[in-house]
Amino acid sequence: MTALTQSIVLAREARPVRKGPSKGLDRAFRAASLGSALLVLLVLAGILGSIVYGGWPAFREFGFGFVTSSAWNIGTEQYGALVAVIGTLASAFLALLIGVPISLGIAIYLTQLCPGWARKPVSMTIELLASVPSIIYGMWGLFIFAPLFARFVQTPVSNVFEGLPIVGSLLYARVPSGVGILTAGIILAIMIVPFVASITRDMLDQIPTVLRESAYGIGCTTWEVVRHVLVPQASVSIIGAIMLGLGRALGETMAVTFVIGNANRLSASIFDPGSTIASRIANEFNEADGMQLNALMALGCLLFVITFIVLIIARLLTRRAKLA
Amino acid sequence: MSPTTSMSGQLAGRNPANESAPVRIAVKDLNFYYGQFHGLKNVNLNFHDRQVTALIGPSGCGKSTLLRTFNRIYSLYPEQRAEGQILLDGQNVLDPKVDLNELRARVGMVFQKPTPFPMSIYDNVAFGLRLYERLPKSELDGRVEDALRKAALWDEVKDKMKQSGTGLSGGQQQRLCIARSVAQRPEVILFDEPTSALDPISTGRIEELIEQLRTEFTIVIVTHNMQQAARISQFTAFMYLGELIEFAPTTKIFMNPDKRQTQDYITGRFG
Repeated sequence: MTALTQSIVLAREARPVRKGPSKGLDRAFRAASLGSALLVLLVLAGILGSIVYGGWPAFREFGFGFVTSSAWNIGTEQYGALVAVIGTLASAFLALLIGVPISLGIAIYLTQLCPGWARKPVSMTIELLASVPSIIYGMWGLFIFAPLFARFVQTPVSNVFEGLPIVGSLLYARVPSGVGILTAGIILAIMIVPFVASITRDMLDQIPTVLRESAYGIGCTTWEVVRHVLVPQASVSIIGAIMLGLGRALGETMAVTFVIGNANRLSASIFDPGSTIASRIANEFNEADGMQLNALMALGCLLFVITFIVLIIARLLTRRAKLA
Repeated sequence: MSPTTSMSGQLAGRNPANESAPVRIAVKDLNFYYGQFHGLKNVNLNFHDRQVTALIGPSGCGKSTLLRTFNRIYSLYPEQRAEGQILLDGQNVLDPKVDLNELRARVGMVFQKPTPFPMSIYDNVAFGLRLYERLPKSELDGRVEDALRKAALWDEVKDKMKQSGTGLSGGQQQRLCIARSVAQRPEVILFDEPTSALDPISTGRIEELIEQLRTEFTIVIVTHNMQQAARISQFTAFMYLGELIEFAPTTKIFMNPDKRQTQDYITGRFG
């Protein structure tokens, strides 16, 4: 052996044996992390299973009519979900209609126009808004916002539009109490704005500076840069943020229960009281038993299904946007 | 013996500088500030019509800063400001009364990284045109094709104009950005290290392209790559610490510079 190969051999022998964790520990670690992942599935399946089990008698009793019937009569034990389902969808839709443009406006202002010193305080205010408990929104909505809304919006608007086609029925309050579907939509909008705005802001922030500069560089105005380059560039994430907001609006319980009026009545007017699935459950759970409890469980199933559909639509939309 | 024998090969076969070409951009006593920091110090420089002028110098010397004053893209950032004069065909572009959108159509810019917009290949080129002109569809199609041909991209994309611009390769994306600029029929095109994110083959194509574009447009290019400056430019400006050290035809800068600092930089002694 030459001196060189000898020294190589020596070097190999001198390499220290790695004293890592034993194989057994590694296996335990893998098993533990798999277990955590499985636990999520188990919990979800458990919740879903018990709700379906609890609601099953109502589905069996009323069949598909449970979804299409607007009855909710505790005395005669006739239950239908239509009013609550429509109330849920309508209030969430109104929340998006009002909340999304405001959120985009906030995000665009913060990332594109806001002077440096004002960015931090405005951003912090928005995040604070997100941390306000929903019961506070509910209380504020019922005791402060609703009376003002009744006096300065519902009454004058009803007076103006009374008797007119379409708007006359859409925006007419028989009893301007301030509570109703639109009030719930407005309160929900205030609640989802912080989420949608801060996610959208983060997404717009991630867009590389050169892309923004090159849009300005061909002579775009700020509006054109935002409208044609930045928002489309972040569109996938913005849709995701909107769907997150929608999910929250659909399931929000406390604030809505305060301001929606809790009436089981189908009305064409968004000024009129109604109820959502979540508010109906929150209102009646305490005293419910028998078929009423089964009907509430069945309502819970429907809410599950609706949020699940929203999730699927969100997935499809974001995938389509990615392909385009 | 020339200090830059390695460069003389690059310089061979280049189009000589035309020193009698009219002046397109005249920079006079230009000072630039990033807040308190004095980024450009009394720069005086002329850019000749339909010539390629390269701005070289070590990082932080102010070459990109200088480039970014010509279309006033720096004004997106309120803490940045320029003083002095930049005369584009005799008009001072630093004048606050200048319409920025119109200026940026006259002075196009291509960036370090390709920046295709999130829209189709066709729309990427047509977008800039639609901002300024209302053209009938057939004429718009013609202008888009023309721009893509000038950017040497037409043959590669003519069958997929509706596909997203972001799906192209890096080099193609950069040529798409050049087409987007060319479509607006600017007078000057600014290139800010246009090949720094590209592979050598794509870089070669962009360099050839710049050589062709020179017949129509006045070109200013910032580059870190001295060989690139030697290959494609007629004039070279060497900058250091915010000052213009030397400006001359590229052949002179690389073969026989007047200043000691220029010679040290191009021979790799610092930078």
